[in-house]
Amino acid sequence: MRATTPSSLTRLLALPSPLRVRTFSVLSRPPPNYPGHIPLTIPERLSLAAGSAIGSLFNPYRHDLIASLGETTAKPYFLSRLHRAMLNNPTGRRILRDRPRITSKSMKLEELRHMPENSVGRAYAAWLDREGVTPDTRDAVRYIDDPEEAYVMQRYRETHDFTHAITGLPVIIEGELAVKAFEFANTLLPMTALSLVAIVRLKKVERQRFFEVYMPWALRNGLKAEEVINVYWEEELETDVEVLRARLGIEKPPDLRDIRKALREQKRKEREAKEAAG
Amino acid sequence: MASSPLLVFSPKLFHRLLQLPPTLRRSLYSTTSKPEIYDVVCVGGGPAGLSLLSALRSHPSTERLKVALIDSQDLTTSRAASDTDVYSNRCSSLTPASLRFLRDAGAWDKVEAGRVQDYHGMQVWDGVSGSRISFDPLDGKNGAGLLDALAELVPGNRFRESRRQYGMEDKGVVATMCENQNLTHALLQRLKDTEGVKVLDKTKVESIQLGPEPEDKALDLSQWPIVTLPGERQLAARLLVGADGANSPVRNFANIPSHGWDYNQHGVVATLQLDHAFAELDRRMAYQRFLPTGPIALLPLPNNKASLVWSVTTPLAAKLKALSPPAFASMVNAAFRLQIADLTYFLEHVGTIDIADEFSWRLPNTSPASTGLPQSLPMVKAVQEGSTASFPLRMRHADTYTGHRIALIGDAAHTIHPLAGQGLNLGLADAQSLASSITYGVEHGMDIGSPWCLDEYVSDRWAKNNAVMGVCDKLQKLYSVQSGPVVWGRSLGLGLVDRLAPLKGMVMGAAGGVR
Repeated sequence: MRATTPSSLTRLLALPSPLRVRTFSVLSRPPPNYPGHIPLTIPERLSLAAGSAIGSLFNPYRHDLIASLGETTAKPYFLSRLHRAMLNNPTGRRILRDRPRITSKSMKLEELRHMPENSVGRAYAAWLDREGVTPDTRDAVRYIDDPEEAYVMQRYRETHDFTHAITGLPVIIEGELAVKAFEFANTLLPMTALSLVAIVRLKKVERQRFFEVYMPWALRNGLKAEEVINVYWEEELETDVEVLRARLGIEKPPDLRDIRKALREQKRKEREAKEAAG
Repeated sequence: MASSPLLVFSPKLFHRLLQLPPTLRRSLYSTTSKPEIYDVVCVGGGPAGLSLLSALRSHPSTERLKVALIDSQDLTTSRAASDTDVYSNRCSSLTPASLRFLRDAGAWDKVEAGRVQDYHGMQVWDGVSGSRISFDPLDGKNGAGLLDALAELVPGNRFRESRRQYGMEDKGVVATMCENQNLTHALLQRLKDTEGVKVLDKTKVESIQLGPEPEDKALDLSQWPIVTLPGERQLAARLLVGADGANSPVRNFANIPSHGWDYNQHGVVATLQLDHAFAELDRRMAYQRFLPTGPIALLPLPNNKASLVWSVTTPLAAKLKALSPPAFASMVNAAFRLQIADLTYFLEHVGTIDIADEFSWRLPNTSPASTGLPQSLPMVKAVQEGSTASFPLRMRHADTYTGHRIALIGDAAHTIHPLAGQGLNLGLADAQSLASSITYGVEHGMDIGSPWCLDEYVSDRWAKNNAVMGVCDKLQKLYSVQSGPVVWGRSLGLGLVDRLAPLKGMVMGAAGGVR
């Protein structure tokens, strides 16, 4: 910091304190607030957000770009709002205090597979097996400055799979978009709304189905449900899925894989009938 | 009745009595004794009333006025507490202008100096957005008022001479914290020393009425207020001063309506012990944070003590007073240091959670930049036993301060929100103005109870008090909003005032009562 006192004009024109925090240069980056933290300047944040948005639109399987899009667009207001929602809820406060992490070590699939029928843990393990994913595919949060808000973002990312599990939506684009729409109505994170731009990648039939069935379901349920971020999943593993859904206020949507399979069967039958006729 | 035994004993004597001249006859069977006539009767022995009488006794023109003071409390026991570690929870912040007045009235040197604390700066910040303003008179040119800045333009000019304040060492003091009982004791001591003031304490005013129809041309008290005390004693006042608090009987007698509203809030006060002690010559700061429920202020007292004033909603005040002392101390710390979301959670669940535990978890996870926390804010360690109390907050302003032979000063005239610490200072300024009006009246041979003498007082004080009360009321309403564009607007405004030195100087000057 320079020793000279600034003139009245520069003091008058200085940015308000919430923005002033970020005015550092790339040559003098402040030290990280937690392991893995990378503080970004405002132009860096904006360009990373733009690049991630375009990149993830062209390749929706780039989960790292979706992650960085989420982190760069979550501040200034939206992540703080989610953080406040956690602080207002007793269970949310317990989560913030304990800071549980969901990894393949903490969620042992062998144990989960043997949980009671129709429990949350069993449904989670079944969903992971069906879609062929593991809990370790989640990136660490890097671009959020406050350590506690970084944890909130990390928790949101890690519990995204649980949302899939209790709604039964698959990992294909259509299912992901339905879950993202639900999460937007529930958590208000901008990245979830921006992901819906990927509707342009859907086929016409899929798009129609999305607008008719899944988007209304997602918005209706996301708004009326309790904040899903406040669910202490580690304690709810043995709860019955129906009971949990009822407590949160979520209806189960039509099974997307079944619908697609039925549609494929129907098309195959039509094609075979046509070939047999023609 | 003087003559009733005569009536009973002898009809002949009674007949003789009826033949007496009318004036003698009336005086014999008249039941009303003549009221004692005073120049100034002050009802109410609070700081405003006492300082008015001290000022009158201190001025050569008015020191021979016959004055009386009536109060229902026992004034002789309002001795300053001798225990240096225990402070009363009713403290007031005295501005430099009030101190000048108290010095001129001869009362300030009788105040126990070891129990009085100057403070040299103020940190005020917005709880929701973290924007803040700091008042620091020793901030060089930045703290000077606009007029001082103009006066400095040409060295040696007459305007600059006229603005110099005599007899006041400029130590950069913003205000001085003094316990109310310390001040009242000093004022009473001053009145005792000057003698000649009839102090009628432990005396409740039974009624105030206008005098009876005149019996002879010599004495017409029909337009004079007569105060009836227990034991049939009556005082007739040339000027009746009402310094008797918010529900003033004098104001009711004068039929002066007072308008305003209740804030549905209580001000919780307590004496707190801080984590470290301050030496006598240390620079002390006052701190105030605007929360949506109401502002919380920490005002410094000598050594390691501080006074708390926290405006909260009425049900919350009851819950806070019911907390154990360690939980209350943690709650005060939380109110200054944690985010609004945390504080709202604490206040909602105040009876059911372990506040000290939650606070010790949340404090390391709350970044000071996000709450606008000043670095120098001391941590509260404990609360003085039995010092938590609360009083209802309201705003009232009498339509006028004077009537025929009536004047109102202090809380009888106006009640204000405590967020700017102005209540007692306005009362003292009223007393000063009324004393100067009375002095002018005496020096020019006026009847001090007549409107010619009293109108000067109203025109001096009413508009100024109205302005201060209006500003405090609007500030309270502005800072009770929790979200949205109002928060953004007020944070921007506060930031601008913080950076515009002349504007900040004007605000400080107005708050300091520069007359």
